[in-house]
Amino acid sequence: MSISKTIIEINGLNKSYKKEQVLNELSWQVNQGDVVGLLGKNGAGKSTLLKSLLNIEEIDSGEITLFGEQYQQLSAQTKGRIGYVPQENDEISWLSVSDLIKFKRQFYHQWSDEKVAELIERWDINAKKTIAELSPGQVQRVLIILALAPMPELIVFDEPAAALDPAARREFLKEIVTLASDENITIVFSTHIVSDLERVANKVAILEQGKICYFDDLDTTKENVVQLTIRYTNEVEIEVPNVLRCKKHQQGQNCIVSKLDQNWLTKMQSQGVEVTVTPMGLEDIFLELTL
Amino acid sequence: MDQFTISPSSGVPIYKQLFSQIERMVLNGYFAAGEHLPSVRQVATNLEVNPMTVSKAYGLLEERGYLTRLRGKGMVVAQRDEAVSQQEKFKMLTKMIEELLTQAQQMGINEQEIIALVTENAQKDKKSKE
Repeated sequence: MSISKTIIEINGLNKSYKKEQVLNELSWQVNQGDVVGLLGKNGAGKSTLLKSLLNIEEIDSGEITLFGEQYQQLSAQTKGRIGYVPQENDEISWLSVSDLIKFKRQFYHQWSDEKVAELIERWDINAKKTIAELSPGQVQRVLIILALAPMPELIVFDEPAAALDPAARREFLKEIVTLASDENITIVFSTHIVSDLERVANKVAILEQGKICYFDDLDTTKENVVQLTIRYTNEVEIEVPNVLRCKKHQQGQNCIVSKLDQNWLTKMQSQGVEVTVTPMGLEDIFLELTL
Repeated sequence: MDQFTISPSSGVPIYKQLFSQIERMVLNGYFAAGEHLPSVRQVATNLEVNPMTVSKAYGLLEERGYLTRLRGKGMVVAQRDEAVSQQEKFKMLTKMIEELLTQAQQMGINEQEIIALVTENAQKDKKSKE
């Protein structure tokens, strides 16, 4: 296997709104070909993070590089390699869909008319209508088409499925799957629909308290992250290896570990400590880590 | 084309779900030796899952000798020795029995009781088919 290139690299990112610190010394790295699902509660700062790294929001401090270039000084060519689907639509509402497409087209070095035509047809969009005449779900689909038309290599989706009905969401997921089969394409999408993430992502990131508190391979996560229910007789707190989160209560501890240490488990059992191991689904992991 | 089903929210990774499904389908003869499997892309689009997940499952099946990669033609079901297939089936059942035994032990049910239960159900099954 070849060593993957780093597409997004963030170091020590800070961002606050007035007095509230939203992103706190956040560091993160996304490699080429990854399809990353970004989870976080409402207000955790998912949009802020995505907008910051694309230089749509000004940051307080930190370093960000995209395709190895400093994010505020991207070359025109690199800018063309990035596609972004915002959560809220700020396109010119009185333009028709086809005029908007013509307008956008002139800003890019490359543009796939075939892709646009295919998606407009498949997603049943009336290109003669103005943006203002479309339903929120249709607007969302137009935004996705606009982002994909320049054939970007990094695509950032902010809550892409939020305005879509279940059928449209499925269509959207199919499109992500098609994109993901190209190893050069890197996708980052924020969502709170865990099952969408489980289908199409190969990596999962959880944003909590201004930091990426968890980032790993999705399969590894499902295979390795487990919940431990520890019961003990004397109230001495037990040190748990690979712990992600631990809560102590009177009769014991409830802990989540990134990987179960078998040697530790054997040792505990020989000491008469009762440890129950429960596998966790991603939804549980997400809920437990963001409590 | 909906030959495979997956449950994305399960704690079992999707590639493992696919692996065991196809493993069973090969062992029980649903896929005959030499038969072509749908392409990674087809399966991925159909199930709406990441193509890497499908290739991971196919890769593992190839490694275990269930599938053979034909250059430019995708995956076909490997020619298998009948004796080996039989062994694989026993291996699969052994794994299931091990799980059953652990659970029974946790419920405080002993070996004799399990054997009685298996026999009883096998007879019921036979009767219902008559």
